[in-house]
Amino acid sequence: MIPWRTRQRLVRAALGTITVLFLAYQWLPMLTMALLSFTDPEGGTTFPMRGVSLHWYRELLRVQMVDDFKPPMARSLALAGACSITTAALALAAAQAMRGRLRGSGAYFYLILLGAMAPGLLVGFGVALLARVFGFGLAWYTSTFAVHIVWTLPFGFLTMLAVFNRFDRRLEEAALTLRATRWTAFWRITFPLVLPGVIGAALFGFTLSYDEFARSLFATGPEQTLPLVIYAQFDRQLQPTLYAIGTLTTAVSLGAVALFATLLRLVRRRTLTSDQPSKKESQP
Amino acid sequence: MTDAPDLELIGVTKRFGTFTAVREVSLVVERGQFLCLLGPSGCGKTTTLRMIAGLETADAGEIRIAGVRVNETPPWQRDIAMMFQDFALFPHMTIARQVGFGLEMLRRPADDIRRRVADALVAFEITALADRKPDTLSGGQKQRAALARALIVEPRVLLLDEPIGSLDYNLREAVMLELRDVQRRLGISFIWVTHDQNEAFSLGDRVVVMNHASIEQVGAPEDIAERPRTRFVAAFVQGTNVFDGIVAGVEGDHVRVRTPTGDFLVSAAHVGPPAARAPVSFSVRAALLSAQPGREHVNQVAAVCRAVEYLGAIRRYDFRLGDGHSLKLEEFTGRGRRLAEGEAVTLGWRIEDGVLHAPGEAPA
Amino acid sequence: MSTLRERSPAGYALAAPAGLWMLGALVVPTIFIAWVSLWAARGFTLASPLTLANYAKFFTRPAYVRVLGDTVQQALVMMLITGVIGYSIAYFLVVHVRHPGLQLAVFLLLVVPFWTSALIRTIGWIPFLGVNGVINQVLLLTGIVDRPVEAFLFSRTGITLSQVSFYTLLATGPVVYTLRNIPPSLPEAAQCLRATPLRVFWRIVFPLTLPGVMIGQILVFLNVMADFATAQAIGGHKHAFLGNLVILLYESGQLAFAAVVAVLLMIAMLLGVAVLLKVVDIRRLGES
Repeated sequence: MIPWRTRQRLVRAALGTITVLFLAYQWLPMLTMALLSFTDPEGGTTFPMRGVSLHWYRELLRVQMVDDFKPPMARSLALAGACSITTAALALAAAQAMRGRLRGSGAYFYLILLGAMAPGLLVGFGVALLARVFGFGLAWYTSTFAVHIVWTLPFGFLTMLAVFNRFDRRLEEAALTLRATRWTAFWRITFPLVLPGVIGAALFGFTLSYDEFARSLFATGPEQTLPLVIYAQFDRQLQPTLYAIGTLTTAVSLGAVALFATLLRLVRRRTLTSDQPSKKESQP
Repeated sequence: MTDAPDLELIGVTKRFGTFTAVREVSLVVERGQFLCLLGPSGCGKTTTLRMIAGLETADAGEIRIAGVRVNETPPWQRDIAMMFQDFALFPHMTIARQVGFGLEMLRRPADDIRRRVADALVAFEITALADRKPDTLSGGQKQRAALARALIVEPRVLLLDEPIGSLDYNLREAVMLELRDVQRRLGISFIWVTHDQNEAFSLGDRVVVMNHASIEQVGAPEDIAERPRTRFVAAFVQGTNVFDGIVAGVEGDHVRVRTPTGDFLVSAAHVGPPAARAPVSFSVRAALLSAQPGREHVNQVAAVCRAVEYLGAIRRYDFRLGDGHSLKLEEFTGRGRRLAEGEAVTLGWRIEDGVLHAPGEAPA
Repeated sequence: MSTLRERSPAGYALAAPAGLWMLGALVVPTIFIAWVSLWAARGFTLASPLTLANYAKFFTRPAYVRVLGDTVQQALVMMLITGVIGYSIAYFLVVHVRHPGLQLAVFLLLVVPFWTSALIRTIGWIPFLGVNGVINQVLLLTGIVDRPVEAFLFSRTGITLSQVSFYTLLATGPVVYTLRNIPPSLPEAAQCLRATPLRVFWRIVFPLTLPGVMIGQILVFLNVMADFATAQAIGGHKHAFLGNLVILLYESGQLAFAAVVAVLLMIAMLLGVAVLLKVVDIRRLGES
């Protein structure tokens, strides 16, 4: 009979190994792709790499007739920015509305959440059908924008709900007893304190839209977003340019996350801490 | 083995990184004792309790239950049971299932379990709750369910971690007495951890006062209240006044202590002669001070009455001395004239009313 | 009392934009898909008569029914794999990693890929699975095989392998959440009631995490059912799931039929979720 403490350590080691292996499993493809994107002009799409160069990144920059990545990237960024702001605004409004205990809040909650559960493919497909039948055109700044919000809004909504849940409504009540109107109380008290949630919702709006392709597949017109252009490459001969754009766009995604995270920390620090240098309380 | 003490702790130490939570704690709990571990948060009482349970391992020292060393024994093999502050009832099981859980783990036959669970439910008056889940129970009901669950495995020692802390104030008194009864009836040892002095003093046969990972004093409640061994214990116990000063001289059995508000004589009998000019402290029970000092009240000091509290049979005064030091005085309501706020008096006490403390912790 | 009066018109006004957006861009298109699936006419007119013939047509084509079967099977396989791996990771993270900084680091490592494009991560798998890919090279180097395994790329195995890396997080997250919510006193109480660590897990910890497990399973189910990109990128044109079928039919102009497949996909997803939710209910009842 193995002593229990050893058994515990074995279990811990086994689970730890699974975790570490899985993390490697999850990250290796991305890291490999990043690595391969720096292969030299003779290099193929798999190992061994024959040299290191920025050739394929330079290829990206060249204006080509067929495989131009720059306009789609610009469109994706613009779309993501718009989605970011819209998601934050709509999520804030919807979450605040939920606090009012309106009739049908239960159904409303599920309605919003449906956006995250409905597969992108079907949503885009439905919009495309509507466009076909009713004859309105599909474009990245109309129909694609619409379906992107359907996807990002539930995440922003859940974030705002969680933040409002932790929010102490007595702070608002205090403001109201101090002669503030509801409007003032909201903007001077509530909003600064839930701002981290708003930023979180904006983050979801940006990254989820920027990376989105399943919905966009059907709902976008001739001017494509970046993920769609990349998707179209699947049917072509695989080139390291794909790795280059893949690495680049991942860098943009991660950069956006880092940016929002920094913004979050700045906002927290400015709202919650005093201007004096931090003091160390000595424990009695 | 049956004559062995229920619990022995011998030089038990526990460290968390560089922080020592429990330092060289030694204790013996004879059969059927009600022991309270009393102290402020962070003093090590809960860690000590958890080491007895086996939920923490001791870094040094030995723990014996019923005479057997259990340092290497895991909790599920120790002859103990534990009650938690949040009751720790399993949310997904009915009360009947919960109470029988320990017996299930011991692989008792099913009808045996059913019978004993039914008996336990009756004994703790929760039969009506048998098929309910914990979330529908009141605080008091949860308490009894947790107790039934713990005692059904017939432990040698029951460990209780601030068990009535989360109950309504009114309920606590009743539950305390119930638990006291159960302990007496079953004759097993209870180790009760609390920071509430009233709890510890009303329940415990013996009280262990802990502070900063060590034991300050062990004894019956009266002993601790009337003869606090250290300054910490004196300050912790309610109704005791603490004086700080330095040793100005030794006069036979007595020590002269110089304080900012005067010199006082204290009996040094059970502590031993302290060093000259060493910092020292002593305490006087609030009930032993007199506002009309007579000749036997050798120690006297001028004070101003700051507040009066009426507590039924007892009056409690809060006096302020010349240096801002506060003194409490308790007397029976019938005795003497009631003093007014702001009135200046002389307070006195006899030499033998003061208790000299062992040298140690400096005043906060 | 708060900044919003209860049941005030302002509340409804605030709720309206999001609600209307979801109705217009989600509910209406979905209903429209269902309607289109019932169109009998070949052409694309609103005046088309309605019929269930398209559905019948689907079930008479064995190739299509096989796609339905494959999709469901893939979902079930993925649920099992991600369930086991996901729970192991969640348990390790919450129970065995004591240091909060380390916990956060591992958590971030798990979650950060979620912030990148699923498409890119799919692409990343291609150099891994091919005949000259990393996995094969490792296998050759370590001598486990003497010829490169072709079965990775363009195969169900390859699809499964890559999907595991995408969807395990969905199974891990909810379990982490439910594990964290178990008060530490519960397993301790069980230990003090003569329960060995294994029994503490099976009788106390695991049952309390079942809701998290179920949510994770549902999320994985939904995502795998709707996944088409992995099948296309990794599986090439040899493998199709329901999602790929929809795209195929749409591109070949068979809109009504594409709608049929879309509706069937939706129904399969709803049925699956309903069944999974039922399983949790039964579990709840069983643990008396």
